[in-house]
Amino acid sequence: MVNKRTIHLKVNDLPYEALVEPRLTLVDLLRGELGLGGVHVGCEHGVCGACTVLIDGRAARSCIMLAVQADGANLQTVEGLRGEGGLHPIQEAFMLAHGLQCGFCTPGFLMSALELLGENPDPSDEEITETLGGNICRCTGYQSIIDAVRLAASKMMASSGKMDGMQR
Amino acid sequence: MSVNIPNKLSGLPVSEPKWIGRSVDRVEDPLLLTGRAEFIDNLMLPGMLHCAILRSPYAHARIRGVDVSAAAELPGVAAIVTGEDARRWLRPMGTVPEGWGSHSIATDKVRFVGEPVAAVAGTSRYIAEDALELISVDYEPLPPVVDPEAAMEPGAPLIFEEHGTNVMLQRLFTWGAVDEAFRGADHVFTERFRWHRVGANPLETFGVVSQWDPLESTLTCHGSFQAPSMIALGAAVRLGLSPSKVRVIPHPHGGSFGGKGGGRGTDITAMLSRKSGGRPVKWIEDRIEYLIGGGSQAWDRRYEASLAVKNDGRVTALRIKLLDDLGATAEGYAAISAAKPLAAFTGCYAIPAAQYDLTIVATNKLPGSPYRGMGPPPHNFVLEQMMDLAAQGLGMDPGEFRRKNYIPSDAFPYTIPSGNEYDSGNYEAALDTALELSGYEQLRRDQEEARAAGRLVGIGLVNSIEPGVFNNNIYNLMGNAGGTAVPEGISISFDLFGKVLARVGFALEGQGQYTFVAQLLADYFGLTPGDVRVVCEDTLSSPTHFGPGGSRMAVVLTGAVLGAADLLRQRLVKVAAGLLRAGDPDRVEMMDGVLRLKANHEVQMPLRQVIGTILTRSDLLPPGVEPSVEATYVWTAPDRGLPDEQGRAKSYLTAANACHVVVVEIDPDTGMVTILKYFVTDDCGTRLNPAVVEGMTQGGIAQGVGAALLEEYVYDESGQILTSTFMDYLIPTIHEVPMSEKAVIVTPSPFTPLGIKGMGEGAMNT
Repeated sequence: MVNKRTIHLKVNDLPYEALVEPRLTLVDLLRGELGLGGVHVGCEHGVCGACTVLIDGRAARSCIMLAVQADGANLQTVEGLRGEGGLHPIQEAFMLAHGLQCGFCTPGFLMSALELLGENPDPSDEEITETLGGNICRCTGYQSIIDAVRLAASKMMASSGKMDGMQR
Repeated sequence: MSVNIPNKLSGLPVSEPKWIGRSVDRVEDPLLLTGRAEFIDNLMLPGMLHCAILRSPYAHARIRGVDVSAAAELPGVAAIVTGEDARRWLRPMGTVPEGWGSHSIATDKVRFVGEPVAAVAGTSRYIAEDALELISVDYEPLPPVVDPEAAMEPGAPLIFEEHGTNVMLQRLFTWGAVDEAFRGADHVFTERFRWHRVGANPLETFGVVSQWDPLESTLTCHGSFQAPSMIALGAAVRLGLSPSKVRVIPHPHGGSFGGKGGGRGTDITAMLSRKSGGRPVKWIEDRIEYLIGGGSQAWDRRYEASLAVKNDGRVTALRIKLLDDLGATAEGYAAISAAKPLAAFTGCYAIPAAQYDLTIVATNKLPGSPYRGMGPPPHNFVLEQMMDLAAQGLGMDPGEFRRKNYIPSDAFPYTIPSGNEYDSGNYEAALDTALELSGYEQLRRDQEEARAAGRLVGIGLVNSIEPGVFNNNIYNLMGNAGGTAVPEGISISFDLFGKVLARVGFALEGQGQYTFVAQLLADYFGLTPGDVRVVCEDTLSSPTHFGPGGSRMAVVLTGAVLGAADLLRQRLVKVAAGLLRAGDPDRVEMMDGVLRLKANHEVQMPLRQVIGTILTRSDLLPPGVEPSVEATYVWTAPDRGLPDEQGRAKSYLTAANACHVVVVEIDPDTGMVTILKYFVTDDCGTRLNPAVVEGMTQGGIAQGVGAALLEEYVYDESGQILTSTFMDYLIPTIHEVPMSEKAVIVTPSPFTPLGIKGMGEGAMNT
């Protein structure tokens, strides 16, 4: 057996130290060792996007990355999404727009949408579609997901507008 | 006690429904959105082992021996099972038709690539997979048979030698004077069709955690089971246990679409747990396992169809010949998908005579599985293609040709030649709405222009009937004992605070059923959906139920909820009659969450007060009234019977219908098809939650687009599967699925609770 390695990483603002086999995938670390069961495994070969997390702010597939590669990284998973009423505005928008059915792919879509709206608060439908092209949903046919991301964008813009107003 | 289940919204004890019929937020969503739903792979039990399965690389081979000695030496390996254990502990899988099953782990030979040959339980999945590499299997390859026509030829390799043939079932159904109709036809159109293997592919694969109790000889299985009671029954039969010895605990699952299977994985983990002295054993199917060996593949079909048509455009008869390649065994109930088309054989059309020549054949491919729609999608494809060919042949518009043949809206309930009865519909209105929604005439003009400019633009118009609320009587068509009852039960109870607990037997799957329960109970008792909690019970504690499948839940669950609610209403009225000093309970009614005198609505009492009295003041209860506010009701479809010798029976209770219009363009250089526009008119009767209906429709369109343009399981001539990842088996992404415009027609069913018709699968048909 290969020697285990010690890695340090931050997940949802909490620091972790883990002793891992080099072959351990990042998703297995997150799910199995850190108990972050919201990161789902759909294909284990990097196509479906259910395991999407943010690594240093960029969406990435945690099933085709090794845990040791995340040494020193800052990660965000669905468990880290928070909002004023409990749910993050993107989560709220997905609920209001019926942007999910079985919910298995949803954490991946939420993280992809989070990355998009962080960079581009008012994306066009084409930009939404381009970003979400790497996430597969087998239930919804995507229409309500596009609606949800649009709604999330307007919610987040409205609330940041409110905050700007208050600051002024 | 008789129970009143209204078939109209006006029959509910609410003056104006506040929740039913609205796109209410789903009660399921917060759990799912935060990643806290306990999908099966999230379940960790103390001492749990992880299973990995060794699978056959051959499509057809005899197993001469399996050597596990090296694997057993690997640190962390706790148990290994092979065909020997299966022979000792298990009966073969149950099949439709009967007698075409193998054991969950191959005992003497393998019949498809991906068939389990051995399995390991280790302290981690990594170790279990390491151990697989140390197992050696001595195979004697046999010639495979992959093509179903070749499989029927004399001298073809036999998949089950004991049968002397690869033909699993052959039946000819004739309804009405088919030959005469074809002889008297002005035109006969004939065509052959091939529908390739496609399948469910929910984003979550199947998973299970089994634990054998060596002292009690009982089995507990947690898993992503679509139909937990059926899994429990199947496991009990295979293990030789009485059903009360098997507890199946369904977990929320990440989609199913019929493709969750699970019999083999349940058996294998049960044996591993037994062999490891009773430790829990988890198996999570990986995607490659799912694609090559899971509940993933359906409908490998060759069709020949003929239509008899008169000069005026009337269709007088339909013949369909189907060669269905079911794969290596008939395990599970995939073959029912060849029987279900009888429920809507002639679609939306008043075709008086029809014939179905059905052959089901075994080949060395993965055994078929159920998939959304369960057979009608290919059948409807063939029927609608034939309608198009005939329209073209007669020089008629496809919409107008169909209009000529629709079952008239005043003819319902309508019995089709193959015996099923349609409850309601207005196909002409659906067509007209679709034509208007799509701007059909303009589309045709635009198409003409585009064609003149050399663009390959096409317009498709299709209809479908979606049989909803399945009945087990279709099993009888395959020679199995099906019966007529498919129960769905619910238990509801009120607490002292006036809140409701509803207990069901099925887990979250994506279709919003818990929300339906909350909506129904909220309107029935004058509450809000937030006052209702829905929980899932295991198979030993749940009310009798079947669960999701066959587009039934909105209908059957409404029946169960309203039945149980009515039982409670009767009790509340009885008690309130005493409290309001009404004397006769007939003078009291429940409406909008209060109990009141029918003659004087001012004399009333809130529901909560009556509940409180029942729960705390036994001295105030009329004789014979139990001091609880709970009731269980099990609903099943009324008026079903067994089929006659030609397979005719009232099977599916509802007949939702739809008309879809699509505009596509083909790139002449690459062959690439782009969907330019998509329009849907849909009639599923009363809608409990329109957003859920729209989501089902759009999701069905996506799977239909996948089947038509992208998805296909491919096997080579040696029976090797070439599509074992999502790189090869292409699931539609957001780029390929058209965003649809939708319109609604409502013809409520006269036969179902609140007039609802099942609709979870229909958009696949069209």
